[in-house]
Amino acid sequence: MSGRTTHFGATSLPPEQRAALHRAKRLQYVGLAYLTSCVVVVYLVMGSSQAMKVAWIEDLLSLIPPIAFLLAAHRVRLPPSPAHPYGRHRAIGTAHLAAAVALLAMGLFLVYDSGSGLIAGDHPPIGTMQVLGHTVWSGWLMIAAMVYTGVGPVILGRLKQPLARTLHDKVLLADADMNKADWMTAGAAILGILGIGLGLWWADGVAAMVIATSIVKDGWTQVKGATDDLGDTEAKTVDDSAVHPLVDEVLAVTRRTSWVGKVAVRLRDMGHVFHAEVFVVPVEGVTAAQCDDLASEIAGLDWKLDDVVVAPVAELPDGVRTQQRGLEPGE
Amino acid sequence: MRPLTWALALVLLLTGCGIPRDPDGTLERVQSSGVLRAAASPAEGSVAVDGDDVTGPEVELVEGFAESLGAEVEWHVMGEEPAVDAMERGEVDLLVGGLTDQSPYAPKVGMTRPYAESVDHGEATKHVMAVPMGENAMQSALERYLDGAAR
Repeated sequence: MSGRTTHFGATSLPPEQRAALHRAKRLQYVGLAYLTSCVVVVYLVMGSSQAMKVAWIEDLLSLIPPIAFLLAAHRVRLPPSPAHPYGRHRAIGTAHLAAAVALLAMGLFLVYDSGSGLIAGDHPPIGTMQVLGHTVWSGWLMIAAMVYTGVGPVILGRLKQPLARTLHDKVLLADADMNKADWMTAGAAILGILGIGLGLWWADGVAAMVIATSIVKDGWTQVKGATDDLGDTEAKTVDDSAVHPLVDEVLAVTRRTSWVGKVAVRLRDMGHVFHAEVFVVPVEGVTAAQCDDLASEIAGLDWKLDDVVVAPVAELPDGVRTQQRGLEPGE
Repeated sequence: MRPLTWALALVLLLTGCGIPRDPDGTLERVQSSGVLRAAASPAEGSVAVDGDDVTGPEVELVEGFAESLGAEVEWHVMGEEPAVDAMERGEVDLLVGGLTDQSPYAPKVGMTRPYAESVDHGEATKHVMAVPMGENAMQSALERYLDGAAR
C-alpha cells in the first residue's frame, strides 16, 4: 500500500491517528510473516501429537484477524459516494466479526479437543526425532517450537493494544486478544508437554482446558461487541466495556447552545468513526446556519465525529437518549 | 556451533533426569523384571512362525532391543487385531508383524517412527513397530535402538 492513509472515508485523520495506522499496518505485515513461519515450524515438529496439532490449527486461525484488519483498512479509505452514502466504515464491523468468530472458534475447538481427550483418557504418544544424527525426544523440539511461536504474540499483542485504542479499531483489539490467546496456549502446551514427559498423561489436557475457558470468554465478548455494533447499538468504548463518553459530551455541548430547547442524541459506531444524529426542538425559529454551526462544534469534539446531522424537529423521536448518563431519572 | 552444543548438553542433562517417563512404567518394568513381552503376528518378510520358533528380521531387532535393556523376550504369537487388543489391556509391551505407517491401528497403539523402507510393487512401504499408547519412554528407547541398528 503506497504512502500513508490520511482519510477514513470522508474523515480526515489527525497526525496521531495517521502515525498509529501506519504503524499498525506495518505491525500486521510483520506479524503475518512471523505467523506463517510459525505455521511451518509447528507443522515440521508436530508429529502425531494431538496438542501440537491443536497449536497448529490455532496458528492458522490467528492469521484471520490480521488479514481481516488489512483488508478492512484498505476498504475504509474510500470516500462516500451515492452508492455508499455512509462510506465504507462498516468494513471494520465485518472484519471485527470475522476476527471475533475466529477467536471464539479457536477457544471452542480447544475446549472440545482437550475435553474429549481427557474424558477418553488418551495417553498422548510423543516419540523421538532424528536431528543431525542424534535421536532426540520430540518433546524438546516441540517445546522449542512453542517458545518460538509464543514469544512473538507477547510482543505483537502489546504493541497492537495502544494503537487499537488510538484508532478506536476493534479489529485490531480483537487481534491483540488473539495474540494473548496465542501465547497463553503456547505456554499451556509447554507445561503439557513437560507433564507428558514426566509421565502425567493428563497434564496436556488440563492445561489446555484452563486456557481454553478464558479464550472462549474473550471470543464471546468480541462476538457480542461486533454484532452489537453491526446492530447499531449506542456507540461503546473500543473494548465494549461501557457506553462511549462522547455520547454525553455531544449532549452537553448541544444543551449549552442558546437556541436549543429539548434535545435527543444517538451515536452509532460505523467502524473507527461515529455517525451522530442530534434531534433538537428549538426554543424559537432556527436558521440553517445555526444548525451547521452546532454540527461543526460537535464535529470538533473528536476526530471520530465527522458525520454529524443536526435535525430541528417539532417533537423528539421515541427511544433516543435525552439525558447524560448518571442524570437520568431512575437509572 | 556453540549455542547448539549448549542446547544438546542441556537436552542430554534433562534426558538424564528421566524425561520422558512412561505413565504406566513399561520401560522400567521391562528393565527391572528382565522380561519383554512381545507380540508377534506372522507377516511375510518380517515375522515367520514355525511352531514355537519365531524368526525374521523384525524378530531379530526386538531380540537385540531386549538385550540392550538387559531383558529376555517372551514371545506371544497372535493375530494383529488380538495383539492390538492385548496391548490396550497392557498385556504386551511391544508388537511386531509387518506393520506400516499406514496402519489403521495408529489411534490405539503408539507407532514408532519408520525404521526401514522397502519398495513393494513400485510402492514405498515404511515399516514401524508398536508400543502401548503414550508409553513415551518405551517408545523413545525403541526408536533410539532402531536408529542405532539402522546405522
